[in-house]
Amino acid sequence: MRHVEQVMGTAVSIEAASDLIPGVVAWLHEVDARFSTYKEDSEVNRFQRRSLALSDISDDLRHVLDACADLWKFTGGYFDAYAAGPLDPSGYVKGWSVEVASRRLVEAGSTRHFINAGGDIRAVGGPWRVGIRHPWEAGQLCWVLSITDGAVATSGVYERGAHVWNPRTGAPATGLRSVTVTGPDLAVADAYATAALAMGEQGIGWLAERVTDGYESAVVTDDGRAFTSAGLPLAE
Amino acid sequence: MRRSTAAAVGTLTGAALIVGVRLSVTAPEVPAAAPAPAANEQPAGGEAGAASKPASKAPAEKAPAEEKEDEGKFKNGTYKADAKYVYGTISLSLKVTGGKIASVQAGYPTANDSGTINPPAIESLKASTLKAQSADVDAVSGATLTSEAYVKGLQAALDKAAK
Repeated sequence: MRHVEQVMGTAVSIEAASDLIPGVVAWLHEVDARFSTYKEDSEVNRFQRRSLALSDISDDLRHVLDACADLWKFTGGYFDAYAAGPLDPSGYVKGWSVEVASRRLVEAGSTRHFINAGGDIRAVGGPWRVGIRHPWEAGQLCWVLSITDGAVATSGVYERGAHVWNPRTGAPATGLRSVTVTGPDLAVADAYATAALAMGEQGIGWLAERVTDGYESAVVTDDGRAFTSAGLPLAE
Repeated sequence: MRRSTAAAVGTLTGAALIVGVRLSVTAPEVPAAAPAPAANEQPAGGEAGAASKPASKAPAEKAPAEEKEDEGKFKNGTYKADAKYVYGTISLSLKVTGGKIASVQAGYPTANDSGTINPPAIESLKASTLKAQSADVDAVSGATLTSEAYVKGLQAALDKAAK
């Protein structure tokens, strides 16, 4: 069955066996409570204002901090959990939490499900048909992918205004309108999409190198050019 | 002269590295002279990316080079090549001065090489993709939706239909 939950500031659609859905919903709310920067006493905020010492943080937060640091290095600083000043790992946490939820579903015996957290998707046991939103037309798609077991993440500047910043210049990212990345891990795919968007047109070349690690991509530039990597799993 | 041509081709391979794209993988025909120094050069073109993986031979058309001997490894001149990479064909232009790579310009594919979906082309995009396929997708990937955007969007309709 399909369940939609409002959590983490967005709508999360969960397609799974009905008895497995409550566990996913509970986990996502737990993540929201612990990692949201909007919640005064979240673990992230307590760590941020140093009322929680590094030695006392949870394994989950340690994983998130380590992953953000690795991605910061790997993307040449373009994926930056400190881009806005204080620590805000939500660009990693959303994908990671969905990745964990999907893994738990598999462990619970699920062979077919997907979770779509505000446009970032982790699917198992497809093929699932995943449309990529047209960056100018909210109700339209510009590509349709066929995903059997993997993640699809899209970053774009058409929702919520230009919310991706180039951490090197401090100015809003320009050049790319929408970046979609597919691959084995949703948190990584999401971070790559965000980093490429921040890079601007250079991000196209950077993404082309990620193909070797199993991450394919589809990019739309500000002036409407469209790029897809050769291995992008387009639906027939 | 043959040596300098070889150096130029090797350099073009290096240029592809700078541009940060993967070319279709074929072993370089020329014992590459200089990937290492090339990879350290700063890309001059605004579109050039970071260093990358092995590139393949780029069919090179060399422009006449100046015959002056310099301390660097490469013959002075401007070299152009088209190379295939994962997104299509890319044109490279490489300038060598003082025996060193002075600049690399890369042109990304334009409308002829990739589908153009700028606003004026929305109608044709609808025709080609949307009508054919949008009716039966399971999920929509897009930049993070606000709850209001979700309610208005295609995903909400899909979720409603799937319940």
